[in-house]
Amino acid sequence: MSKNVLSLVLCCAAAMAQAPAAQITGVVKDAAGAAIAGAEVKATQTATGAVHTVVSGTAGEYTLADLPPGAYSLEVSKEGFGKFALNEVLVRQNAPSTVNVSLQTPAGAGAPPSLKDLGFTPTDTQGTAQDQARLDRRSHMLQIHQRLGLITLAPLIATLITGSGAKGNRNSTASSSASGRELHAALGGTTAGLYLTTAAFAIFAPKVPNTKTRGPILVHKALAFIHGPGMILTPILGAMAYNQRAAGEKVHGIASAHGAVAAITGIAYGAAMLSVIIKF
Amino acid sequence: MNRTILTALLLLAPAALVGADTQWVLDKSTLTYHVDHPLHTTEGVSHAARGKGVCHTGECDFLIAAPVKSFDSRDSNRDLHMIQVVRGGQYPMITVRTHVPEADSTAATFKADIEIQFAGQTVQFKQVEFKREAQGNAIKITGTIPATASGFKIDPPKFLTVPIKNDIPIRVEMTWQPQ
Repeated sequence: MSKNVLSLVLCCAAAMAQAPAAQITGVVKDAAGAAIAGAEVKATQTATGAVHTVVSGTAGEYTLADLPPGAYSLEVSKEGFGKFALNEVLVRQNAPSTVNVSLQTPAGAGAPPSLKDLGFTPTDTQGTAQDQARLDRRSHMLQIHQRLGLITLAPLIATLITGSGAKGNRNSTASSSASGRELHAALGGTTAGLYLTTAAFAIFAPKVPNTKTRGPILVHKALAFIHGPGMILTPILGAMAYNQRAAGEKVHGIASAHGAVAAITGIAYGAAMLSVIIKF
Repeated sequence: MNRTILTALLLLAPAALVGADTQWVLDKSTLTYHVDHPLHTTEGVSHAARGKGVCHTGECDFLIAAPVKSFDSRDSNRDLHMIQVVRGGQYPMITVRTHVPEADSTAATFKADIEIQFAGQTVQFKQVEFKREAQGNAIKITGTIPATASGFKIDPPKFLTVPIKNDIPIRVEMTWQPQ
């Protein structure tokens, strides 16, 4: 762990667009600003553990070239000086990183504090590319869930509106009622398909361990226990009602609850969206 | 990230660090980031920062650090998104360093250059103003760091396809005790 880092500069300069590959460069100096030749500079790729090592030149300069892009930890050491370590160097293609290092002579009370002095554990201070990748997947899937949820609103509202046409009234003919039912059923099927896809992206998004759900998202998730079962029950009752009407019967029995279940489902769905849009 | 981006770095040069070889420890702190979106204004708060200052031969070095996941905006979904946007899975800490002449910062207000490492980036903030207030042996420091999403190469998160504003000021309140 580094003890005596006075300064480090990490920069990804657009001006270095000429550089063909990922690399880390810099200069190693002592506290007085004099170059340190012969310092060992070691970069360890976080994801693979691969180690790349160079030695600083007469002017203290070093270049770790042809590095696979990614995250690295950097260590610089020379006998007679305190070791420098940096856990967080992100190296990108065509955007070289510069880390200038100042090595101090080993010191006691005057040494600048380090993360180790603050008492943080390695679990606190060290992340991994895998952890970040899981978070990225989670966010990506929830983003799709959000967009699909908005898209699903359109057929959902259209289905609710065409519900009265499906029911028919005393002024409607048999054929217009039938076509109304067909339209309503088609829209309902579309809504159900989009809804299930929307739900899948939320259900299968990676979970983050040791995270307690709190805030508006708690309401959003709770409402899913209403509109989820509702979205399953509604088309089942709708199919029963459809068949009864197709047989020339009035809708009766449990099928007559189709409209009410659909309305409750729609309201719960709308409330779920509002719970994450409006700040309460 | 928060649809939020959080960053909190505070680094404060404690005032009244007069005398050679003195050490300071961060006793308590409140770091608050502020994010603006047309639909929401969000603040996330952390009380988990730790810090230490070492003053030697007239110069002081300070280090303050906090875990990114310690910031709480009262919405766990937003907090997790924040951590993802600021690359907190890979860079879980925010660290702030400053080097201050010991004779400085005895005034009620002072300015300090600070260096913040966050989201895999290192950003310098020049002449950030802070207020200092003595509380017995302790020193209370308050101020606001003018952080931005672009400064840390963070893609502004979006909510309903609308991004947050680039400015993410971070309010700092810290109480330092001599060790």
